Amino acid sequence: MKIKNDFILRKVGDTGAVVPVGQASREFDGMVTLNATGVFLWEHLQKKTTREALIAALTAEYEVDPQVASADVDAFLQNAKDAGLLVE
Amino acid sequence: MALYDLAGLLVEMSPRYPTLLTQAEPYRSERDGKAQITITPPQDYVAQMQENDPGLSEDQCEYLAFGSLFYRQLLRFGGMMLHSSAVVADGRAYLFTAPPGTGKSTHTALWLQKFGERAYILNDDKPALRFADGKLYAYGTPFSGKTDLSRNTCAPVAGICILERGTVDCIAPISAEQALPLLYEQTVRILPRTGAELMLDILVRTAQAAPLFRMQCTPTPTAVLIAYQAMCPKDKEKR
Repeated sequence: MKIKNDFILRKVGDTGAVVPVGQASREFDGMVTLNATGVFLWEHLQKKTTREALIAALTAEYEVDPQVASADVDAFLQNAKDAGLLVE
Repeated sequence: MALYDLAGLLVEMSPRYPTLLTQAEPYRSERDGKAQITITPPQDYVAQMQENDPGLSEDQCEYLAFGSLFYRQLLRFGGMMLHSSAVVADGRAYLFTAPPGTGKSTHTALWLQKFGERAYILNDDKPALRFADGKLYAYGTPFSGKTDLSRNTCAPVAGICILERGTVDCIAPISAEQALPLLYEQTVRILPRTGAELMLDILVRTAQAAPLFRMQCTPTPTAVLIAYQAMCPKDKEKR
């Protein structure tokens, strides 16, 4: 899975702001804000990846417990899916 | 085509209808040179707009379409529109942004009552924001919404306040992160990729440069006092 191409990310300090471009902005007319973990996951999802690879990357980057990392990844993916930001 | 000075840029356009002709007149340029922005709407823009909203007159279509084209092109010059009422007091611009019907203009009209000759409305609905020498300025433009309140000048931005209706008056500073989604709702959206990238860059830069506030307000003079006290730059910041 990956993030649709029709969204752009800009960093604001260690947080992130995401907006749709072109056609996507007619379907999703709003801004998504991301915390530092969200920015990290978003950047990984700009290329095709898997849930397992995201958990591994997060665990490695933040030295968090894999259980915590997988909960974070699942929550992020659910939100992204609900907002229609992901493609298979 | 006639030349106008809008937000420090030389703009070429040929308005035909009274609203824009009248409101743009104070912005006529006496400078010579090549236009940086040319506003040329598609031939059938009036018909297209009236198809979506049959209640629009040709005059209103021109005013809205030219404004929209100007603000889209302004992004290429590092500037953006913020849907807000901008009041200048003692030479500094205070911008109040909110969805339509919240009471932006009502609030800034109360500033004029309080400050008298020390204050004026820079643009009652769609001021331009643009950096000059690294400092953020607000500009009057002919595109000022339902009122013709605008002035052909600019002022450094003292602050941008997200306005909400309240039963009491209460204002607090907010961070760029908190303000960004709200500011985004009040600027030009639905842009192609290059435009959206420019817009988001300018929006982030603006949010990081301007002091930002959120206010619940009543339509009373007390709201002005509270907003001014919170937003007016303190002397220590000037040193």
